[in-house]
Amino acid sequence: MLQILIYGAVSSAIYAMLAVGFTLIFGVARILNLAHGSFYALGAYAAYVLTSLLGVPLFLAAPIAVLLVAGFGVLMERFLVRPLRASQLAVLMITLAVSLAVEQALFITFGSEYRNVPSFVADKLSIGGVDIGGQRLLALVAGVLVLLLLWLFIQRTRLGAAILAVSQDPEAAQYMGIPTNRIFSIVMAISAGTAALAGVLVSPFLTVQPTMGLLPMVKAFAIVIVGGLGSIPGSIIASLILGYSETIVAYMISTSWTELVSLVAVVVTLMIRPSGILGRRAAF
Amino acid sequence: MSSFMRPLSAASLIVAGALAIINPATAQQTIKIGVPTSVQLQVGRDTQNAAKLAAEEINAKGGVLGRKLEIVVADETENPEQGIAAIKKLTADEKVNVLIGGYTSGVTLAQLPHISSAKTIYIGVGAASPAITAKVKSDYDNYKYIFRAFPINAAHQARALVDFINGKLKGELKMTKIAIVGENAKWVQDLVPILKKGATEGGTEVKLAEFFDTSTSDFSPLFAKVKDSGAQYLIVVLSHASSDIFVKQWHDAQVPIPIGGIDVKSQDADFFTRVSGKANAETVGMFAIRAPLTPKTIPFWDEFVKRFGTAPVYTGIGAYDSVYIYADAVKRANSIEPDAVIKELEKTDHVGIAGKLVFDELHDVKTGPGMQNLLFVQWQKNGERVVVWPKEAATGPMISPPWMSN
Repeated sequence: MLQILIYGAVSSAIYAMLAVGFTLIFGVARILNLAHGSFYALGAYAAYVLTSLLGVPLFLAAPIAVLLVAGFGVLMERFLVRPLRASQLAVLMITLAVSLAVEQALFITFGSEYRNVPSFVADKLSIGGVDIGGQRLLALVAGVLVLLLLWLFIQRTRLGAAILAVSQDPEAAQYMGIPTNRIFSIVMAISAGTAALAGVLVSPFLTVQPTMGLLPMVKAFAIVIVGGLGSIPGSIIASLILGYSETIVAYMISTSWTELVSLVAVVVTLMIRPSGILGRRAAF
Repeated sequence: MSSFMRPLSAASLIVAGALAIINPATAQQTIKIGVPTSVQLQVGRDTQNAAKLAAEEINAKGGVLGRKLEIVVADETENPEQGIAAIKKLTADEKVNVLIGGYTSGVTLAQLPHISSAKTIYIGVGAASPAITAKVKSDYDNYKYIFRAFPINAAHQARALVDFINGKLKGELKMTKIAIVGENAKWVQDLVPILKKGATEGGTEVKLAEFFDTSTSDFSPLFAKVKDSGAQYLIVVLSHASSDIFVKQWHDAQVPIPIGGIDVKSQDADFFTRVSGKANAETVGMFAIRAPLTPKTIPFWDEFVKRFGTAPVYTGIGAYDSVYIYADAVKRANSIEPDAVIKELEKTDHVGIAGKLVFDELHDVKTGPGMQNLLFVQWQKNGERVVVWPKEAATGPMISPPWMSN
């Protein structure tokens, strides 16, 4: 039982880190960003290049990787998404194009081999008889911290208030003197940064491979559909639901069934409550 | 072919035609060897490299029937549709004389009808499902084109694994409880029942047998189940799933159970460094290693490393031998007509890299003493590879994972 509790928490935290950024950029800027998985992959590859090829120590490489990807997100928003913002469909297509381009670029640069990012923590810990790799625990702690910081940032700072305002009504916000475009850039940076951080944190116990962004993207999408597009509390609840159901299925039934869980959740949600658990509300 | 290439190839045809009139002897067409494989993977790169190496060696000695060998590659990925497209490209567009390649059993099975209708000889060097060559017996006229030179099929591999379980684990290490986990793929579904039956008959208790999806990225539930099952050893059977993730998570969680079995990506020469040494104490079934298995093994191995900078994986060994056995069969048949060559291929008795290469009545490579076998090789510290089974081939003792040997 305790195993399910702990491992489920780790999965949920990673999913939440992925899904929150995805839903945030939609809630604020109405960008359905299909390149979100690319941020995750790029974060992992940046960490790989910095640590394994350039010999940068990991604790330094991780923040650099996150900043680089956040920068990439900002550039993508500024030069590719912003000119097309009038059409939601065009935005969808350009982000899809970016994700394919990133994947191919990684293929060409690194080949399809698995790459390795060293662990931050090599130790194994035992909690109540459950063995867990230190790196997984770190991912859990970091995930919770990031979500907490993000919540504080949005609730307690002026910039956070501005983000909230834009998410509720971009036009009114602009009339009030809030620079909407700058807010979009900032939100994109946060969104890309959290995805990259997830990539950096999980790559030591998963692996680094060009197509690695696809599955997290599918998961993030599933979570956001279940939780309600644009709702951050919704996606956190959905992350917990999916993280735990997958872990329970893996333990109780079989590991070969876990990948079905998110698909079933999406179908059920769309049938019973198409807007998701906390849908039809702006972010927050 | 892109449009700007067409005039070029038309031009080359004209030139070739002109040459044919001037000098019929040098204008002899090459013998084309099509290589369908997963070019993005190590198994695919080694297939191509080894086939080219063999072709160059044969060409340097004057080729076959006065004709040079030429290698044409097509990417079959790990996806049946791409696999069929690759076969069509090689047979219909490139009009190759023989196909040497393959990796994923599901892909090869999907390709079979297309190979058969193209009436082109196919020598498999990567896929292990017994179903591939089963058709040779049930429908000889249509499927006589299919051969497998490498690796020994999943049923033979299962028997070798059973020998490891009963001989090494139970016989020497007194382990009587094992768990089996494998990826959900055709060749594993073929292999696991034989494994279970053999182990049980040998007096080993199979505490758990579970399949997992090839895209699984979190193995901790699986490891927890294995631990709870009371197994003393974990037999793994995987090829397409990520060996890297599996081994890293096994090491990071310090699962108190040693692992070993057939783990194809763990055969890669760079596997140990790729997982930062976390493969230490994993035992991997391999079809060949740098050891004097035959007089050809070490020279080939060293030449391959010198040329390509990495030790060959099993498909490379298979591709190298296959080019030779095809060339020999063509020489003996004195023709490249498929029917004549098939008759000669069936008589193949060739000293290859991993052992003597002989086909059975299903056109499947035989196993046994002196022939191709599965060797159990353990990754040990600093990335050294030590053969631990069969006994007569062992080069050192088997070690326990560092966290278990205190």
